[in-house]
Amino acid sequence: MTRWAMVADLERCVGCQTCTAACRHANATSPAVQWRKVLDIEAGSFPNVNRTFVPVGCQHCADPPCMHVCPSTATRKRPDGIVTIDYDICIGCAYCDVACPYQARFKVTKEDFAYGAEAMQNEIEREISERLGVAQKCTFCSDRIDFGIDNGLAPGSDPRATPACVNACIADALQFGDLDDANSNVSRLLREHKSFRMHAELGTEPGFHYLYDKAAAAPAADIKPALSDGQAGRMRTRGVEPWHQKHWDWKASGNFLCGGAGAGLLGVVTIASFFGIPALLPALAALAIIACGLGLLIFKIGRPWRFMYVLRQPQRSWMSREAWVAGLLFPLALVALWSGNRNVLVAAAIVGLIFLFCQGMILEQSKGIPAWRNPRVIALIMATGFAEGCGLFLLLAAFLPAMAVAAKPAAIALAALALIRIWTWWRYLAALESGGAPTRTLEIFTACRMWFFAGGLVLPLALVAAGLIVPVAAAVLFALAGLSVFATGWAVKFILITRAAYNQGFALPHTPIRGSGVPGPAVKPGWTSP
Amino acid sequence: MPGSKPPQERTVSTYCYQCVAGPDLLTVRVQDGVATEINPNFKAAAIHPGGGKACVKAFGLVQKAYSPNRVLYPMKRTNPKKGRHEDPGFVRISWDEALDLVADKMKAARAAGLTDESGFPRLAASFGGGGTPTAYMGTLPAFLSAWGPVDLSFGSGQGVKCTHSEHLYGELWHRAFTVCPDTPLCDYVLSFGANVEASGGVCGVKRHADARSRGMKRVQIEPHLSITGACSAEWIPIKPKTDSAFLFAMIHVLLHEIAREKLDIPFLKQRTSSPYLIGANGFFLRDPETQKPLVFDLATKRAVPFDTAGIDPALEGAFTVDGIEIGPDQEIATHTAAAVTPAFAHLVAHVKSYSPEWAAAICDVPAAAIRRVTNEFLAHARVGETIEIEGMTLPFRPVAIAFGKTVNNGWGGYECCWARTLIPCLVGALDVPGGTLGTTVRLNRPADNRWSSVKPGPDGFMYYPMNPTGKDDWISRPTARSAHRTLVPLVANSAWSQALGPTHMAWMMQKEDLDHLPHATPPDVWIVYRTNPAISFWDTKAVGETMAKFPFTVCFAMTRDETNHVADVLLPDCTDLEGLQLMRIGGTKYIEQFWDHQGFALRDPAVPPQGEAKDFTWIATELARRTGLLKEYNIAINRGGADVKLKGENYDFSLDVTKVHSVEDIWDASCRAASAELTDGVETQGLDWFRANGFRVKPFSRLMWYLYPKLVEQNLRFEQPYQERLLRIGKELERRLHEHGITWWDKQLAEYEALPHWRDLGALWEDALTKHFQVQIGDHPFWLITSRSMQYSWGNNVGIQLIKEVADNVMGHGSVVMNESAAEKLGIADGDLVEVSSPLNSTKGKVTLREGIRPDTLLIIGQFDHWVTPYAKDFHAPSMNALVPMLLDLTDATGSSADLVKVKITRLEKAA
Repeated sequence: MTRWAMVADLERCVGCQTCTAACRHANATSPAVQWRKVLDIEAGSFPNVNRTFVPVGCQHCADPPCMHVCPSTATRKRPDGIVTIDYDICIGCAYCDVACPYQARFKVTKEDFAYGAEAMQNEIEREISERLGVAQKCTFCSDRIDFGIDNGLAPGSDPRATPACVNACIADALQFGDLDDANSNVSRLLREHKSFRMHAELGTEPGFHYLYDKAAAAPAADIKPALSDGQAGRMRTRGVEPWHQKHWDWKASGNFLCGGAGAGLLGVVTIASFFGIPALLPALAALAIIACGLGLLIFKIGRPWRFMYVLRQPQRSWMSREAWVAGLLFPLALVALWSGNRNVLVAAAIVGLIFLFCQGMILEQSKGIPAWRNPRVIALIMATGFAEGCGLFLLLAAFLPAMAVAAKPAAIALAALALIRIWTWWRYLAALESGGAPTRTLEIFTACRMWFFAGGLVLPLALVAAGLIVPVAAAVLFALAGLSVFATGWAVKFILITRAAYNQGFALPHTPIRGSGVPGPAVKPGWTSP
Repeated sequence: MPGSKPPQERTVSTYCYQCVAGPDLLTVRVQDGVATEINPNFKAAAIHPGGGKACVKAFGLVQKAYSPNRVLYPMKRTNPKKGRHEDPGFVRISWDEALDLVADKMKAARAAGLTDESGFPRLAASFGGGGTPTAYMGTLPAFLSAWGPVDLSFGSGQGVKCTHSEHLYGELWHRAFTVCPDTPLCDYVLSFGANVEASGGVCGVKRHADARSRGMKRVQIEPHLSITGACSAEWIPIKPKTDSAFLFAMIHVLLHEIAREKLDIPFLKQRTSSPYLIGANGFFLRDPETQKPLVFDLATKRAVPFDTAGIDPALEGAFTVDGIEIGPDQEIATHTAAAVTPAFAHLVAHVKSYSPEWAAAICDVPAAAIRRVTNEFLAHARVGETIEIEGMTLPFRPVAIAFGKTVNNGWGGYECCWARTLIPCLVGALDVPGGTLGTTVRLNRPADNRWSSVKPGPDGFMYYPMNPTGKDDWISRPTARSAHRTLVPLVANSAWSQALGPTHMAWMMQKEDLDHLPHATPPDVWIVYRTNPAISFWDTKAVGETMAKFPFTVCFAMTRDETNHVADVLLPDCTDLEGLQLMRIGGTKYIEQFWDHQGFALRDPAVPPQGEAKDFTWIATELARRTGLLKEYNIAINRGGADVKLKGENYDFSLDVTKVHSVEDIWDASCRAASAELTDGVETQGLDWFRANGFRVKPFSRLMWYLYPKLVEQNLRFEQPYQERLLRIGKELERRLHEHGITWWDKQLAEYEALPHWRDLGALWEDALTKHFQVQIGDHPFWLITSRSMQYSWGNNVGIQLIKEVADNVMGHGSVVMNESAAEKLGIADGDLVEVSSPLNSTKGKVTLREGIRPDTLLIIGQFDHWVTPYAKDFHAPSMNALVPMLLDLTDATGSSADLVKVKITRLEKAA
């Protein structure tokens, strides 16, 4: 077997960016699209400061989260370990982008040239239109490797069969080779050095190894403790700390807002139907809301006309599963409403519940976004979905007399759901805080705490209580309680999907020796560690 | 991958010599006639010290060729008024008209006499960084040679942006135009701001990475944690411009705290002037008969000439000796029974007060750190060990000291260079394997390699081509507008000397004459190529105003820029990937260029010129033809004006001097001559062969990396520690200047000391600024320094998008770098817009806060502040160049200053 891997010797790297430039040339990427780049990380406090240069890019993980989430099968892993993207299949949903904890993926939606609107001759010559609107990333220069193998050349030693960044590296800090070959350069380097893989704790098993010390060196018992923001050492970095992901924007959040509230409403309507409440109008509203969310997604993806490809990967991708479930939900619900068969409606509501679960799982599988990948996000998404659905029910009940009779029990249910929701929210936040998270994410959530508590729990409970005490105003008070739960749910989800969605950033468990000495402390810029 | 239709492909070999750390040999991928990729030249991996790799700057060449901002046609100015705020009104003209315009001006100047009424050349030229433009200007040097005297003294950064002091003192002491460790063998390097990982190019980076991998320890001593500091085992944040105190304290430790026998006593006795006896007047005590310096032989207990065989000269002790001293102007003082001590003993006494505790207060570095690194240095020196190099047994001393530029120019440069050369001598580590090496010569001749420039000079030292200071031969009437030969004996008189004189003085004197020098006339014609002094020098505002007054300026222009804004004619030459040229490679050269081969590389055009850009050789030939200098030009080419002599012992490819030759014919003859030179005439392949192969080399002996074997062969000594020759020359120069009524150079004359004393450079700078600008210097509490950027330095590439893009990955580019704690005290946050003001001027930019910088220091990387250059003018990046004043008080005896100034910082806007 073959396992292609990259080794970066941090003792040798000088951060010159020659690999960055060479990659831009070799792969004709657009301005600022750097499949390979070198980070500049400074940590410590004057005068005890160290500065490290760290080449990054796609880590070609053995267990690549990007591949698992890809709904279209565009992202695959070859038997030799190279993770690839098929530009002809990719729908440009950017799920892989938020799933990648190495920030290695890019999506360019319109042509971009070095000097503005006009392309230079070299840009015309190297124009690659199939990359527009789809995911792109480092390929380990797989075309060179394949060429090399086809022509009897050894990747990693023959330049014609070696990634451009490795060829270009003026410090010989980057090396490429086959890890399954014990005699390869990379195997030898890993034997002779101490090494780590970035974010190893996430279990992605990267194919990118960082050397930080000689293997013969004594165990570095005196390694200083890890530094992250807020601790004694300060860090200044360029493009290292988690930054706000841009690919999942308000349109993407719309699917979670609408999908959650719609599925929740469908569930509440179904329960209400057992108490004689007509389901038709509210259920249609629920479906319409869900459809709106899904519709927004089609406008969000880079290749809208390929939207059906979202169905290609139900084996692995929760986005595919969500699409399949949505595909089942609509006909089932419509049949239920058309036929008036309650059992079918119950089945549709259960499918809606699964749809909601899929949404939670979509977030949970996004390993690149610490705020999403926490498993407790699933309970939060489901709890708020039901709470929002119940809130919507009460809003509708204020306008539809047929539903009004269920307002009181629904209001009590709303209070219960609000309590459950706040409990899931607190548990979620506690998990984030105890497990560590991007500092900005926690800051944003901290800023939400008060108003979410007040608007999402205290106010609706008060309104529900008031409604129970003052029946004459109950309809209005219950509706306001519903609105409050619904609005706060949407607000917190919108913040979760957009503003608080800082990516993983980069971190080093060790900073390297430089000729002599011992390795420096671990650094994790932009994180609040437990 | 890219493209659906398979493109027509070819690979072209060429080189990149955009910076002094080159050349990098590379290949260009050309698809359908369009250059698309730069790649290393792996065919050169075995012969190039950097493995055939190309640095990041080379990857900008594709965009350089196709940039929409290029000047693609000759242009002439239509607005006769010049200045920053005047629109030049450039209009497109034909090459014929442009060349006639230039040639007519040149002919008129020539007709009026090659030099003007002040004796200055009527033709002036300025070229960019470190001589690198010669790798792109084809046969222009032959044209300039044919022309006659040309004033090259209008600097564009020299003296303040270079390692000026070691250029001059390094060449004097060990043929070291630049100095570096013998990195492949060195185990311990003390680097005072030498930023090799940013400015050492491919070879420097590779050699140092290899050295780190085998365990070399480098201690970086500098005010901010540079790229090189980052890659070092230790960072010692020294106060700016106090390096000489640190170094003097090291000498103190070696001479006063360490047992004498741990030093390399044989080296000191045999390879330095340490045993030379010093007379009462401070000059060597000499044998009255032979006039040779005397040493005291411990074996015979008597004073004998230094080169007496079989002696054991004393390094210390007081002796009573008869002899003479030769002072300035050959004045002889006779001494009888004089009490004298050797130079070494003088040195020991000289550094007695320079203890680490003394230095600690000056450098803001703990005395223990100075003491520790000195002891580490000694421990790594392996005094007494040897190594075999190509069959010759040589001393092995794997320790070195390297300098960055602000340590190494201006006031203090002499002290630092002296100490940096002396400390290796104390442990026998100067120019021996593993030690501190010189790289190349530019002032001594011949310049083909260091060894061939080694000739016996006075007193057992190497010959050095000092400018004369005698009563009869001193050059009282300057030959260039910087007065380099008049004021700076050390700058010699090679083709490089003008560029190494006090080039800022050429600009200063255009504003105000200096007493008793000829009136500083502007040149009739000024040629500018690959340089932008309106941005790159110091006090750029004044430089810009001065150049606007020049009557006729011709700029070779890739894009519009701040200097060609005042040009009369713009000529678009072929860019790097478009022109044809053959260049010498290999041997030993600047920075870390130590090859095991030497030969030639071809710059083969990868793509046709854009627009009407022309090959530089074509332009030079046309200028020669139109100015009536064709014959002289061809003769100059035949003589080697295009880097290779066309006629040798076994071959003759000389051009017919009466004819106009095509670009290809000229370089074909050069290629044939190069082939013949490398093969002793056996092979004579021409341009086609070089096009197919890219380069051609022959072995270069590694022994020639070291000067020591050559000195042993000629029984010569390093001129350390006692600078008797400089002392005498200084006295003579003082007399000459005073005889001519010149007293404004007196401060500089004080630098001619036999053993340099420490100077308080902080006070020197502060006093100069206070005196000239009437400021309270306390209002300017920060030192502003600069640092090189691998992505930009020397590259003339600031307008290239890819370079900007990748440079932005490195912290600090395009901003003012400041210490976090210092910023907190002033309420400044990361990203705030600030104004940095010196007493002269101010600059604006965003702040980048870092811990890796001293609290009393600000850093602005690179040189920006562009206001014409397309693309770059939108950076809004700060630049220190407009903030550093050109002052005589800040000019040292070698004619340079250092790139630093005292400033204050004010917040203008909070970060968005």
